[in-house]
Amino acid sequence: MAPRLPARCWQQLALRPSTATTALLLPSSAAASPLQQQQLAQQPTTLPYTQHRTVKTGWSTLPARGAKPQRFNQVTSGLPALTTGPAAALRRKERTTPVRAGVLAVKKGMTVFMGRTGARIACTVLQLDRVQTVLNKTRSRHGYWAVQVGMGERQPGNVGAPLLGYYEAKGMAPKEVLAEFRVRDESGLLPVGVQLMPDWFHVGQRVDVRGICKGKGFAGGMKRHGFSGQEASHGNSKNHRTIGSVGPSQGSGSRVLPGKKMPGRMGGHRVTVQNLPVLMVDNDLGILVVKGCVAGPKGSVIQVQDACKKDPPPQDFIEKTRKLLEERFPEAEAHLQAARQRHLELKEARREKRIAELISEGVKGAEEHADAIEEILAASANERPAELEQTQPL
Amino acid sequence: MNVTPLTRRPLGCLKATLRQARQQNMVFARHMATETAQARTPLPPPEHNFFPLQDRKTKTLRTAFAVYPSTVASGSKSLAPPPTNALQSLHEAQIKKMDPTGARTALFAKTREAAKVGDVLMVTHRRGGEPFAGVLLSIRRRGIDTAILLRNHLGKVGVEMWFKVYNKNVAGIEIVKRRPKRARRARLTYMRQPKHDMGSVEDLVFAWKRSRKVFSSGKAAAGAAAAKKAAAGKKK
Repeated sequence: MAPRLPARCWQQLALRPSTATTALLLPSSAAASPLQQQQLAQQPTTLPYTQHRTVKTGWSTLPARGAKPQRFNQVTSGLPALTTGPAAALRRKERTTPVRAGVLAVKKGMTVFMGRTGARIACTVLQLDRVQTVLNKTRSRHGYWAVQVGMGERQPGNVGAPLLGYYEAKGMAPKEVLAEFRVRDESGLLPVGVQLMPDWFHVGQRVDVRGICKGKGFAGGMKRHGFSGQEASHGNSKNHRTIGSVGPSQGSGSRVLPGKKMPGRMGGHRVTVQNLPVLMVDNDLGILVVKGCVAGPKGSVIQVQDACKKDPPPQDFIEKTRKLLEERFPEAEAHLQAARQRHLELKEARREKRIAELISEGVKGAEEHADAIEEILAASANERPAELEQTQPL
Repeated sequence: MNVTPLTRRPLGCLKATLRQARQQNMVFARHMATETAQARTPLPPPEHNFFPLQDRKTKTLRTAFAVYPSTVASGSKSLAPPPTNALQSLHEAQIKKMDPTGARTALFAKTREAAKVGDVLMVTHRRGGEPFAGVLLSIRRRGIDTAILLRNHLGKVGVEMWFKVYNKNVAGIEIVKRRPKRARRARLTYMRQPKHDMGSVEDLVFAWKRSRKVFSSGKAAAGAAAAKKAAAGKKK
């Protein structure tokens, strides 16, 4: 099918009709008058009939005017999906990203589990100190799915103004530590402000445990990389613990290859121990006991999350833990909204330098707040059925 | 007059509204908590104090932030800090489980009657085998992981063995002979030196066994003899 002609082509043609057409239309004897020619030009003309269509006769391979541009580089063009970029990265990491968020804990120390049959298992005791969810990170806003979790308590005097505002908007006390746990998708996000207890995990499941190992300072090759050192005798002089050669000489470039193991800073980096079985969970003591050892000294902050190289916990267990959260903290969302509302007001007051008055008056306007929240909730409740109607046909 | 933009506009509007609706839909699907909070009565604003920040130079109030108490989470629910002695509680619970009668705890407690370093002890294994006797060199007190170090000579070779007090593999621990005078060290590592080495405690154990036979009833003695025979049989 011939493509539609752009206007510029046939306009030109109409203005300068070819001799062939005039010859056909007019008797050969009569000469075409200028008036007749003008009339002809005004008539709407179609493509002239020619044997060979070329660019000169109005043939064009350009797309039609006003047509959508050809989406040669789009998802709809039938090209294979990209293997780079944010979406591809998320897809690639999907299988190794845990379904649920993790918790923060403090390493309390190591002990053993004595079995009835005489088995003795070394284990590490981790304690969860007021672990709360602080923020949900979403694909649309932040580029990935994650849950920010906080633990412990920090004196407000030791927190900067920006963070004080952050916690004010969350309606929670400043936390000692914050960490975020990537989750696979939106189903892993949690209500903000709820507390995660040790029963977030179940006995027997596998977890990945992350901590910062003890720093050893500037260490030599023997300690840092396990080099053999040098001889004690046979003419060796003052080089017993030094590293030996660092590479071949001329012919091999006379250079030290990148990544050569040498003395340097040792320890103090993050260490992940994978697939540790959970031996015990106790909400009263707030402890989680995992088998084996965990990097870091006693009192260090540890991140615990479902093992990424094992299957996630059973679906019914995941649902059970979610239900527990809802049961324990039914008011989480309302509390958060109230705190947000309060934060916006206080922010406005700070901007207008009214904060001193507010303090002197004390916390005021509780009833107004309640009314405002009621309005918000009522409005959202009204919107909801309408939206549901909208979404159902889709 | 150009008519086309007017005719196009409604379509564009519809598109925009649809897109918005879709996004809204996503937003609401995302927050599971919005569903739960729907039917509930609104909360009053959470209780809080103000934390003032001073200007360093003028010493006047610069700004202030609401700070919520750390014990309050999501409404009226309180967040209590966990017990600080969790590890100790865990040890106690474990010890209670492994030693219901408290006999093993009492044996190595810091009391007058308890076993002390320098005493000669005998440990019996659960799975049979020769009981191991030796002088107590040290007690490593670690809650449930408490262990004792015994030293003896077997065939003129010094042998030391660690035993976990609360382990089920340790069937029994008995005091064979008490040290006449209290040792003035917590760990008697000097007893490894030839000058202080006690040597084999075999004769002490033998004497103790004989005295037990004398004091115990005939039945028990017969039982002990039978057990010894059985042990001998096993050896064969």
